[in-house]
Amino acid sequence: MNFWSITLDLLVGFGETLKIFGVTLALALPLGLIIAFGSMAKFKPLSALTRGIVWVVRGTPLMLQLIVVYYGPGIVFGTPIFSAYSATYITFTVNYACYFSEIYRGGIQSITKGQYEAGQVLGMTKSETFFKVILLQVVKRIIPPMSNEIITLVKDTSLARIITYYELIYFAQRYIKNGGILWPLFYTAVYYLVFTALLTVFFRWLEKKLDYFKA
Amino acid sequence: MKMLEVKNLCKRFGSNEVLKGVDLALNKGEVLSIIGSSGGGKTTLLRCLNFLEKADSGEILVGGKSVYHAVDGQKPVVSAEAQLSFGLVFQQFNLFPQYSVLGNLMLAPKLRAKRKSTEGPRETAEQIAARAQKLLETVGLTDKANAYPCELSGGQQQRVAIARALMLEPDILCFDEPTSALDPELTGEVLKVIRSLKDSERTMIIVTHEMEFARHVSDCVIFMADGVIEEEGTPEEVFDRPKSEKTRAFLSKTC
Repeated sequence: MNFWSITLDLLVGFGETLKIFGVTLALALPLGLIIAFGSMAKFKPLSALTRGIVWVVRGTPLMLQLIVVYYGPGIVFGTPIFSAYSATYITFTVNYACYFSEIYRGGIQSITKGQYEAGQVLGMTKSETFFKVILLQVVKRIIPPMSNEIITLVKDTSLARIITYYELIYFAQRYIKNGGILWPLFYTAVYYLVFTALLTVFFRWLEKKLDYFKA
Repeated sequence: MKMLEVKNLCKRFGSNEVLKGVDLALNKGEVLSIIGSSGGGKTTLLRCLNFLEKADSGEILVGGKSVYHAVDGQKPVVSAEAQLSFGLVFQQFNLFPQYSVLGNLMLAPKLRAKRKSTEGPRETAEQIAARAQKLLETVGLTDKANAYPCELSGGQQQRVAIARALMLEPDILCFDEPTSALDPELTGEVLKVIRSLKDSERTMIIVTHEMEFARHVSDCVIFMADGVIEEEGTPEEVFDRPKSEKTRAFLSKTC
């Protein structure tokens, strides 16, 4: 059990961690936008329902949500529906989409009415105005809160372990169980730190990239 | 035939009657200025003409064709070409910050060309760019084509906004207090552009507080107060020989 073989083994574990991260982002970013529109809908029952869901999801622990989604169906229907993988992806996606939706909503509502009105008097449709004019301004404004959430997601992935999703922390804990070696668990911090450093650099680059206009 | 006819336009916000039956008519190439104190309904009238507010009742005709017809309590009938019959230049410019000057001018025409499926050839990107360059010349900003709105002065931004509105070739171009958000030393360049548009036979409606400008650029002046047209006539009639007591009071305060 030398240092390098453990490093490689943990890298495999980190690959599993990155899967949760990647799938959650890819699905929660668009889903969050849809939820944001739902909570801003003029049709009252829809906005009330959406806000209710967001309240429940943001108001309960992610760990509890994982347990309910993974074990719940088995208790109710007598047979489990989701594998650890799908339960993890579903729960993380919905959970993060709800947080994202509130960030989107704040961003969208901070854009002045004049931008929409300019689009309208120039004969643009509502969706053209949104996608060609509003969205990039929203993106620029929400980068700081979004980068916060996304960095939190990197570390939240470790919660998936409790429903037997084998990610980085699980890989490290096996060394304790099998040989009483503790240091790989501490060593996992390096993986998280390096990855969040890369994300930080990326978000700073993105912010710079959108620095050419004021919104 | 009149370029624009507005018949008995009414607009309420809750219990507040902002427009109480406004009628007006405008010939092609004429410039109409609307003056009056705030709360008189000037801006609401302009916003109704651009469909940013939906008038509760009344009719709007462009070139003799009804583009908007509303009867109290019913859904208004709006024709497809209604929106593009009018152009609007805002007090706050409302340029799109993430697009260059040229990008601001070309965005809507490009989208329109993409959308347009029937009758006539589509305008190509090159044709749109050529028109944009020409309009930038008109407003004297050729050298700023690739600048972003945040790099421009207020006066330059407003000139871009005027060019952007002209890109859609509206029948009637409206201005909502086009110089009110500008530093005094920048109003001149914007007013000069508007004056040059008058020379090229643009039909325009201008809501303004610049009385001297209104007097010199307008064919017709309307004084609005409390949601009605209190007085209308040539600039000389309204400014020099106002009949209404309210007009006289307003002018003595501002001139």
